[in-house]
Amino acid sequence: MKVQIILAGIGGQGILFLSKILAELGLRSGLDVIGSEIHGMSQRGGSVIAHLKLGKFSSPLIREGAADFLYVLEINEGYRALPFLKQGGVIFANLSEREEFNEKILNHLKKGKIVIKKYDANLAASQVGLLRSSNVALIGYSVGTGLVRFRYSDVKEVIVSLSRQGDVNLNLKALEAGWKEGKLHSKDLWRKATS
Amino acid sequence: MSKIKKRASTPEIRLLLGNEAIARGLVEAGCQVVTSYPGTPSSEIVPGVVAFKKELGLRTYIEWSTNEKVAYDNALAASLTGKRAAVAMKQVGLNVASDSLMSSAYTGVIGGLLVISCDDPGPHSSQTEQDSRFYAMMAKVPVYDPSSPQEAKEMVKDAFQLSEKFQIPVLLRPTVRVSHGRQSVRLSPVKKLSRQAEFKKDPERWAATPKYRLLLHQRLNEKLKKIQRKFETDKKWNYEISSSPQAKLGIISCSVSFSNIKDIVEELNLKNKINILKIGTPYPFPQRRVEDFISKHDKVLIIEETDAVIEYQIIDKDKVMGRLSGHVPGAGELTADRIYNILARILGELKIARLKDKPNTKLKALIKELNLPQRRPTLCAGCPERAAFFAIRKAFPKAIYTSDIGCYTLGLNLKAVDTVLDMGAGITLASGFYQAFNQDGKNVPIVATIGDSTFYHAGAPSLINAVYNKARFILVILDNEVTAMTGMQPTPGIGVTADGSQGKRIPLERLIKGCGLDWIETVDPYEVKTLVELLKKAGEYVRSPDGGIAVIIARHPCLIRYPQEAVVNPVKVEISEDCNGCRYCLDYFECPALYLEEKRNRVEIDRNLCVDCGVCINACPKGAIVAKG
Repeated sequence: MKVQIILAGIGGQGILFLSKILAELGLRSGLDVIGSEIHGMSQRGGSVIAHLKLGKFSSPLIREGAADFLYVLEINEGYRALPFLKQGGVIFANLSEREEFNEKILNHLKKGKIVIKKYDANLAASQVGLLRSSNVALIGYSVGTGLVRFRYSDVKEVIVSLSRQGDVNLNLKALEAGWKEGKLHSKDLWRKATS
Repeated sequence: MSKIKKRASTPEIRLLLGNEAIARGLVEAGCQVVTSYPGTPSSEIVPGVVAFKKELGLRTYIEWSTNEKVAYDNALAASLTGKRAAVAMKQVGLNVASDSLMSSAYTGVIGGLLVISCDDPGPHSSQTEQDSRFYAMMAKVPVYDPSSPQEAKEMVKDAFQLSEKFQIPVLLRPTVRVSHGRQSVRLSPVKKLSRQAEFKKDPERWAATPKYRLLLHQRLNEKLKKIQRKFETDKKWNYEISSSPQAKLGIISCSVSFSNIKDIVEELNLKNKINILKIGTPYPFPQRRVEDFISKHDKVLIIEETDAVIEYQIIDKDKVMGRLSGHVPGAGELTADRIYNILARILGELKIARLKDKPNTKLKALIKELNLPQRRPTLCAGCPERAAFFAIRKAFPKAIYTSDIGCYTLGLNLKAVDTVLDMGAGITLASGFYQAFNQDGKNVPIVATIGDSTFYHAGAPSLINAVYNKARFILVILDNEVTAMTGMQPTPGIGVTADGSQGKRIPLERLIKGCGLDWIETVDPYEVKTLVELLKKAGEYVRSPDGGIAVIIARHPCLIRYPQEAVVNPVKVEISEDCNGCRYCLDYFECPALYLEEKRNRVEIDRNLCVDCGVCINACPKGAIVAKG
C-alpha cells in the first residue's frame, strides 16, 4: 500500500504534531514511513506544510497531483496546497460553519472527483477547553469517516504517547469529539450512496 | 522523540527525524563527545544525543557551545585524546568554524572526528544557500552526502571509521530534507567505546610552524589520494540503479535529489530509458566511476543540491547537462516538482519520452485569482521583543536600526530593523556606520539590537572592538533567556547545559561591564514607557562629550519557553469606540492578535491568539486599546 498525505496550516497550529501522529500510525500499520517538515523561521506564524508518505518511497517530498489526502487546518493555506491533491483525493478541512471554499474552486475540485470533508475542529477544540487540540480533533474526524483507515484504539494510544503530559486528557476528548462527528458523516455517505 | 516500538520485530524500527537518526548514528558509532551551536536545520542533533544518552545510560559528553568555532575546537580536542567526537552546526555555522576546519585538516585527528554541516537549499531558514561540500574541497577533507535519514545514520558510522583510518576530519553534509525528513529508521546495536583520554605530545604536528605545515599538506594530499581510490571502488554509497544498455540518458545524482529522481523514475516506469548513478561521496571525487558512467551514455544530467560540486569536478563536460549548462536552475531548492519539470523538458528535447503536462494549470490560475494573503512569519503575540522594537521606534523614529540573527530579525515587520547580515553584525555594522558617518562630521542616531544567545556567540568581541575604537550608539540586548528561533536551547546567561544539568551562569551585565562599558541599564520591555524614557536617556549619553556606547538589556522571558513566567499580571484588553481604523497599531505594533474588521473598519482582538500581556495599550495613539473593566 502507498499513501501520500499533505498537511497545511499556519505555524503554531500543530502541523508537525499532526504529521508525527499520522507517521506513528503508519508505522504501527507495518508501513515504511518517510516525510518532510519545515522548522525554524516558518514556525513563527508563517505557512507550514508537511509531507508524509506511507509505503515504499525514497523521497520525502510529494509531487503535485499525487497526494491522496490533504489535511487543512487553515483555509488560505489549504488553497495553496490544493495542487498537491490527485484526482479523487480527499480533503479534511478545519472550517467554521461560515467558511466555505471559493465556488469556482469547488466546481473545479468536483470535476476532479475530489471529496471535501468539512469539520469545525476549532469549535470542537474550544468546547473541549484546549484550543491547540483542533489538530487532534481533525485527525479523529478523518478516522471517524472511515476514509483514513487507522484503528481508533491505535490512534488513542499514539495520542497518549505523543501528547504533552498536561494535554493528554483534553487531546483524547478532542479526538473523541472529532471521531464521533466523523462517524455521523460516514453514515451520511453511506445513506447517500444507498438511497 | 518517539519511543514507540514496532511490535515484536527485529531490528527495532523507530520513527526518527533525520537529525535524530544522525544522533542515533553517533551513539551507534560509540561517539563519546558531541558539541554544537544550534541553528536550523541542525538543532535537533544534540537533543537527539541527549535523549539516547538518557535512554541507554551512556556517559557521552554533550555541550551547547557558545559558537561553532568553539564547538569545533572542543570536539577536536577530544579527538586528539583518542576519543570519537562530533561537532554539528548549520551550514553558515561552518563559515564561523572554517578556520578550525582548514587547520585541523592539515594536522589531522586521532580519534574519529565527524563534522556535521546541515545545508538549507531553499533557503528555508538561512542567509545563504551555500553548499558545504565546497568546504570539504577547500579544506581537503572527505565528505559524505546522505540521501535519507536512514542513510545518514549509516554514513555516520562509516565516516568515523574512515576518519580514524586516515586520521582526517570527515564532513557529513545532510540537506534540510534529510535533517528534517522523518523516516522509519532501522536501529543497530550501540557501540560502547570506553577509550580513556590520552594526549601524546607531538609539537611538530599539533603546534606545527609553517615549515612543518608544508609537510602536513603533502601528507594530506597523500591521504586524499588513498581515500579517492577507496571511493572509486565503494559500492555502498556510490552505485548505479538500473543499468539498461539501451538507455541513452544517464543521471548522476546525490543527496535527497537522488531520492526524488528514484521515485519519479519508478513511478513513470522509465527504468529502461534512464540509468542513474548515485554518488554518496562527492569528494574526493570518484573520477573514474563517473567518467565510465558518462562514456556509456549519449547525454548525462547532473541533479545535485545545492551547487554544482559534482559537475565542477567532471573534466570533460561535453555530454553533461546541469547547473553550469543552464539545464538546472542555479538557485532554490530542487523540489520533486522542479526535478520532474527538468526531466520532462530534457526527455522531450532528446525525444526519449513525452511526460504528461501537469494537470493543475487551471486550478493554479483559480488559486491565483483569490489573491491569497502572503503569510509572513511574525513575532508571537505577547513577544517581549515586539515591545522593545515598538519602544525603539517611538524613542528614535529616524535612527539606523542594525539587527542580528534570531527571532528578532522579524522586527523587520515593525520597521525597526534595517540590516541583518550575520551573527554579531547588529553590533559590528552599528560601529561601522558610526565611524563612516563620524568621519564626515555627521552624527546619526544608531540603535543596534541583538539577542542574548547571539551576543554570547559573536556579539561580545564585536562590542569590545566598538568600545575600543570609541564608537557611539545605543545597543539594546533582547534578552529572552533562551535561544528561541532554533528551538529553545539554553544560553550561558541561564547557565543550564545541553543535558539539562546546571553549568555556571555568566550574567550579561557582568560580561558587558567586562567589555569596557560604563552605561548599562536593565529593563523589562513590557514597561514600554520606562523603556522609551531609558532609550532617550541613553541617546543623551551617546551624544554627550564624554559619552560612548549605551547598553540597555531588555529582559523578559520568552513566551514559548516560559509560558508561566512570561505573563504574570494578565491584562484583558478591549477596543473602545474611539478606534477609527487608522491602522497605526497594525503597522507599528503588528501583533498577530490584532486585526482589522474590514466591514466596521475597526481593529478587533483575536482572543485565540491574545495572551493578555496588555502591552498593546501603549500602541494606540488615540488611546482606544484599553484595559477591560
